[in-house]
Amino acid sequence: MAGAAMAVAVTVGLAALGTFDTTPDPNGIPAGSKAFMLALVIAVVVGFAAYAAVEWIQTRRLDSIARQFDTRTIVLIPIAIAINIVLGQAVGTALKLPVYLDSIGTILVGVLAGPIAGAATGLLSNLAWTFLLAGTPFGSPYAWPFAIVAIEIGLLAGLFGYAGVFRSRPSTPWPRLATGIVVGLVVIGALVWYGVVPFYRDLCALRSTPLRLCFQFFVDGPVPVDPLFIAIGVGIAVVLVVAAVAVAVRLLRDRDLGLVFVLVAGVACGVVSAFVAAPIAALVFGGITGSGTDLLVFAFQYAGSDLQLAVLQQSLISDSIDKTASYLVVFAILGALSRRVAGRFPQGERALGTIEA
Amino acid sequence: MALLTRLPPETPTAYHRLNPLTKAVVAMSTTLAALVLGGYLAPALVFATLVVPGAIAAGVLGRVIVVSAAATLPLAVAVALVSVFTRPGSTVLFEFGPFDATLEGADFAARIVLRLFVMASALGLFGLTTAPRAFIADLERRGVSPRVAFALGAVLDTVPSMVARARGVQEAQRSRGLDTEGGLLRRAAGVVPLVGAVVLGALHEVERRSLALDARVFGSGGTRHVLWAPPDTSRERAARWLLAGALLAVVVGTATGTLPRLP
Amino acid sequence: MLTLLAVSYRYPGYRRRAIDGIDLAVGGGEIVGLVGPNEAGKSTLCLVAAGLAPGSIGGAITGEVLVDGVHPTARRGEPVAGRVGIVFADPASQLSGVCGSVFEEVAFGPINLGLPVADTVERTRAALAALGIAALAERAPDRLSGGHTQLVAFAAMLAMRPSLLVLDEPVAELDPDGRRLVGATLRSLAGSGTAILIAEHDLDLLASLCTRLVALDAGRMVFDLPIAAALDDPRLIELGVRRGTSAFVVPS
Repeated sequence: MAGAAMAVAVTVGLAALGTFDTTPDPNGIPAGSKAFMLALVIAVVVGFAAYAAVEWIQTRRLDSIARQFDTRTIVLIPIAIAINIVLGQAVGTALKLPVYLDSIGTILVGVLAGPIAGAATGLLSNLAWTFLLAGTPFGSPYAWPFAIVAIEIGLLAGLFGYAGVFRSRPSTPWPRLATGIVVGLVVIGALVWYGVVPFYRDLCALRSTPLRLCFQFFVDGPVPVDPLFIAIGVGIAVVLVVAAVAVAVRLLRDRDLGLVFVLVAGVACGVVSAFVAAPIAALVFGGITGSGTDLLVFAFQYAGSDLQLAVLQQSLISDSIDKTASYLVVFAILGALSRRVAGRFPQGERALGTIEA
Repeated sequence: MALLTRLPPETPTAYHRLNPLTKAVVAMSTTLAALVLGGYLAPALVFATLVVPGAIAAGVLGRVIVVSAAATLPLAVAVALVSVFTRPGSTVLFEFGPFDATLEGADFAARIVLRLFVMASALGLFGLTTAPRAFIADLERRGVSPRVAFALGAVLDTVPSMVARARGVQEAQRSRGLDTEGGLLRRAAGVVPLVGAVVLGALHEVERRSLALDARVFGSGGTRHVLWAPPDTSRERAARWLLAGALLAVVVGTATGTLPRLP
Repeated sequence: MLTLLAVSYRYPGYRRRAIDGIDLAVGGGEIVGLVGPNEAGKSTLCLVAAGLAPGSIGGAITGEVLVDGVHPTARRGEPVAGRVGIVFADPASQLSGVCGSVFEEVAFGPINLGLPVADTVERTRAALAALGIAALAERAPDRLSGGHTQLVAFAAMLAMRPSLLVLDEPVAELDPDGRRLVGATLRSLAGSGTAILIAEHDLDLLASLCTRLVALDAGRMVFDLPIAAALDDPRLIELGVRRGTSAFVVPS
C-alpha cells in the first residue's frame, strides 16, 4: 500500500517536472538531478503518510508504530543514545579521520525495533545531546540541526532491518556468494556513478588561478595535479583499502553473504545522508564540523566549488565511509548478540532471521 | 512534607527558578535568531539582550563565556582556515604559500564564528541554569509521554555509567595483559574489544531491566501523579509566546526581505 | 494468594519446557521456599508466578496461573498490575535509572499505579522504614553499595503493597544485617497476609523462614513438603542442596 502510494507520488512528481533536464546549472550539476532528489524525498513522505492513514482508517490505531515501542525498546533507546554520544564525542575529539561514528546506536535501534523507533532514537539523541547534556563535558550545542539527518538514518536502518539486510548468511555456497558480490559491486557502482560522480565533474572549469587543480579522472587533456589532492586521495584510499581488505578476508573466511548486503545498504545510507546533511552543514556551520572532514571541504572549495557544492562533495565521501563503517559495526554487534536476547525486540526476529531452539 | 521540597534540584537564583521551558524557549530563540539574521550586529544584539542579562542574573556569565569559547574554538579555527584561504574573493590580504587569504573569506569566517559563539552561549546558559531532571519532569507534566520522559531521563545516568563501565573493562583488559599503551594502530585495535564488551554488556542487560520495569507497572498508561514538577507562572507563559511570536516575525521578515539587512 | 494448576512453560524459540506440569499453591501468610539445582526452573517459576512470563517475555504457557483469582495472562503484555512484587538477584538492573533519589526510586511503582501523591508518600515511607533504610531517602540510587541497592529494590516492590511477593535469590549481595532485615520484613509481611515465594540456595535462611519447601529438578516438581519434613528428606541431598552452605544464620 505504501509502496503503491510512493510509486504514484514519484510518477506524478516526474511528470510535473517534465523531461529530465540535463542542462548544467552554474555548478555543473544537471538541474534534473536535484529535482529528482526532491521528488524522491516528497514521495517517501507521501508514502509514509498514506501508510499511516490507511492503518488508522482500518484499525483506528497505529499498532505497527506502537508495537515498535515496547518496554525493551524504551530501555534500549537511552543505551543507544549513550553509545551515539560517547562514541561520537570520542571519535570527534580524539581521532581526526573522515568519520563521525555517532549514529551506531540509532542504526541499532532501527534494526532491532523498527523504523519509527529508529527515527525517534535519532531525534531524541540529538535533542538529548544538545539540551539534556548542555553545560556538561558531553554536551554539544551544535547537534540539534542534524536531528533530521539522525531521523533519516534511523528510518533507513529500520527499513533495511525489516528487509532482512542485516541477517548473517554464513557458509553461502561459492556460486551464490560470487554472484552476490558481483551484484553488490554493480549496485554500488551504479549508485556512485549516477548519484555521486555527477557532482564532481567540471571541478576545473571554475577556477583560473595560475595553479590549476583538478581531479584528473574527470577531465580530458593533460592537466597538472596538485600535490594536496594527491595527499588527501592517498589517505582516503589507504583507509578504504585497509577496510576493504579486512572485509574481504572476513567475507572469504566466513562466506557470509550478509556482509555484501550490509555494505551496499551502508553506501546507500551514506549517499542519502550526505544529501540531507550537506545543506544543513553549509547553511548553519559554513560547512565545518571541526573534524577531519574539514580538510576535504578545504580541498574542494579551493578547487573552485562554491560552499554548498564543496560540502556536498565532502559529505558524499565521508558520509559514505562513515555510514558503511557504522553499518559494519552494527552487523558485528548483532552477530555477537545472543539470538535469544535479540529475538525479544520488536523487529529482532525479522531482522536477524528466525531463531533455532 | 519537608522531604518533598528537598527532592527537586537546587535553584540558587531567580533565573534558575524560571520554568525550564521558558529557559529553553529563550535558548532556541537566541539560536534561531542568530542563525536567521546574518551579519555581525544582529547576533551581537541578540547575545546582549537574551543571553547576557540572564547570565548575569544567574551569576554564570563567566562560566557561560568560558564554556562557549571552549565549544567554539575548534570550529573557529577550522572555519577560519577553510574560509580565509579557499573562499573566492577579490581582496587579497596576504599570501601563505600557494594559498591566498581573502577579505571576503575572513568576513565569512568571522560571521560564522560569531553565530556559533552565540549559539553555544545560549545553550550554555540553558545548561548551566537548568537541571535536566527538572526539564524532563516539566515536559512530563505538560503531557509528554512517560515513556519518552523515561527514555530521556535514563540517558543522564547511562552516559556516565557507560563511561565508567568502559574504564572498568579497560582495567580488566590491562590486568589481563592486553596492551593498552603503544602506537595509534595498537590502541585502535584495542578499542574494538573494549567497545564490544561495553556495548554487548549493556545490550544483554536490557532484558533484565525491562523485566524489572514491567514488574513496577511501567508504561501501562494512565495518569501519573509525580512527586514534584517545576512551577510555571502566567507571566512566563506570556513571555514565551511573545518571544516565539517575535522569532516568527524575524524569520518571516528575513525570508520575505521586509526586514532590513543589518551589517 | 497464588495458584498454579498443571503449568508448563516454554521460552520463545525453545522447544524444551522450562517448567513442566507444576501444581503449586501459596496461601496468604505462607512463606514457601523454592530449591533445586541450577537450570531447575526456579527462576522461570518465579517469572511465571509474577505474570512476567509470558506477559513480558512471550513464550508459550499451558495450565492456569491465578493470583487472587485473576489470570495474569489474561491481560495482554502486562503482569498483574501491582499485585505481584518480584525481587531479582542482581541489584543494579532493578533500579529504574531515572530517579534522582532513593525516595523517588521507591515511589516509582506507586506513581505508575496512578496513586495520588499523599498515598505514594505514605507507602514509600512505610517501605523505607520496614527495611531500615529511611536514612537513605535523599541519597542518589546509583551511588549505593550492592547491599543497599538490593534493599532499595526490595522497598520499591513493598511500596506497591503486593498480595504476592516473589523473590529470586534476593540475599546474595547482603551482609548478615541485611539478611536479618530481609528475614524480619518477610516474616512481618507474611503476618499481615502477603503470600511469599522465595527461591534461594541458602538453605539456612529458608529453614528459618519458610513454612513449606518445594524442590524442583529439570522443570519438574520433586516434592512439596512442610519445612521440617522437607529438611529431613534424602532427596534434598541428591539435588545438591545442603544445610550449612551459608555461614550466616538468620535468628528467628
